[in-house]
Amino acid sequence: MNGPRIIFKIPLFGGIPVTETVVNCWIVMAVIIGVSIWLGSNLKIKPTTKRQLVAEKLVSMLYNLVEGVMGKKFIWFAPYIGALFSMSIFGSLSSLFGLRPYTADLSTTLSWAVLTSVMVWVFSIRESGFFGWLKGFAEPVPFILPINIIGEIANPISMSFRHFGNIAAGMVITNLVYGGLANLSKFVLGFIPNTFLNSIPIFQLGIPALLSIYFDLFGSFLQAYIICMLTMVNISNTSAD
Amino acid sequence: MDMLLAKAIVLGASAVGAGLAMFAGIGPGIGQGFAAGKACEAVGRQPEAKGDITSTMLFGCAVAESTGIYSLVIAIILLFANPLVGLLG
Amino acid sequence: MDEFLSFVTIDVWTMIMTWGNLLILFLLMKKFLFGPVKKIMDERQKEIENNLTDAENAKTDAEGLKAEYEEKLKSAKIEADSILTAASRNALLKEEAILKEANEKAADILDKAEKQIAMEKKAALEGIKGEMSEIATSIAAKIIEKDINEKDHEELIEKFIDEIGDAS
Repeated sequence: MNGPRIIFKIPLFGGIPVTETVVNCWIVMAVIIGVSIWLGSNLKIKPTTKRQLVAEKLVSMLYNLVEGVMGKKFIWFAPYIGALFSMSIFGSLSSLFGLRPYTADLSTTLSWAVLTSVMVWVFSIRESGFFGWLKGFAEPVPFILPINIIGEIANPISMSFRHFGNIAAGMVITNLVYGGLANLSKFVLGFIPNTFLNSIPIFQLGIPALLSIYFDLFGSFLQAYIICMLTMVNISNTSAD
Repeated sequence: MDMLLAKAIVLGASAVGAGLAMFAGIGPGIGQGFAAGKACEAVGRQPEAKGDITSTMLFGCAVAESTGIYSLVIAIILLFANPLVGLLG
Repeated sequence: MDEFLSFVTIDVWTMIMTWGNLLILFLLMKKFLFGPVKKIMDERQKEIENNLTDAENAKTDAEGLKAEYEEKLKSAKIEADSILTAASRNALLKEEAILKEANEKAADILDKAEKQIAMEKKAALEGIKGEMSEIATSIAAKIIEKDINEKDHEELIEKFIDEIGDAS
């Protein structure tokens, strides 16, 4: 089981590796931006096309979700949540198209989780001042200080590992199943003397599709939804009301 | 010879460790089963709220799954990307 | 020969590029999708609110006008009733007056007619008296065959007619 392949190296700073992760991310971003340009073009007050209805439905679902979880105060946060959600779900779904999903790379999910943690720290510092935030670690009992610090660090680690683990484990299991089915086909078809017909992996047709309903479709949507919900809940917890 | 033995011991121990790590799969199994049971109870008490209850239950299950996923990651690292063999030098 | 990164590794350059990708995606999605759609939804909301307030205003106006018109209708009806009663009373009075006048005129005419009839009767009697005196004179002249004094004759005949006239 290999990590992401390095596609090319930018010759700055002694070779920055541009891996399969980043290239797949660019491809998926191009698709997302193309779809959003197509959805958001030619809007009228009285909608005539179905495209505008779909666009409005998606945007209003997003805004209702953000308002429901974070309240009216943070409604300006909705486009970030939309970008994060679509990046996560389309990244994980790209394994259906043969690409290595870029969310199966710990660096990607860790970057999102660290960004969320930094935002939580910035908002709580803005809310109660720098020393107020530091003092908040020692509440309610000063004895609890190391546990609070560990809890604060554990938050981004668990968020990133949850997302990475689900998608990466799905990828590993799917690859193992493919390999196993190829071996099974080779074993079953082994007695045919023709070398071309020998190596058609006939059992690889159909069975991995059933697995990918859970790992690719359900798992992607659930993990994207969870990372967005955790981000929203953590950020809305920084402000007291 | 020595290197081979050392490598064999490390790889064997890694395999045993990976298997033992998956014992942590019991936790999410029990916890999510409990959550699903409570959700069924709640649906039985108020069938109109089925959609809300289902999505809340799924959300809780996915958060509770995290510890099981941590152990799976440790097992996969030990099996496929073993850092300890490289440390042998 | 392809180089692979390790399966579980934290690669800082990948993290930095992922932050850049997220920022670019956020800005572009906000510009192309969330911005225009939110703007259209807000505009539609405002237009609906404007239409609603316009409808409310029109409704209150219409109710005010309706109350006014009903008032006017009621007072018009009262006026009409009073006009009718006054007119009918006037008509009755006039009718009586006209009837009285007509009766008086009729009585007048009857009187005049009777007077005229009496006068004509008298005139006719006078005429007959004159004719009778002429006829009597001529008959008497024929019977007597003598020239009579016209004046004596006329006195006799007048007396005779007066007696007849009194008797008739």
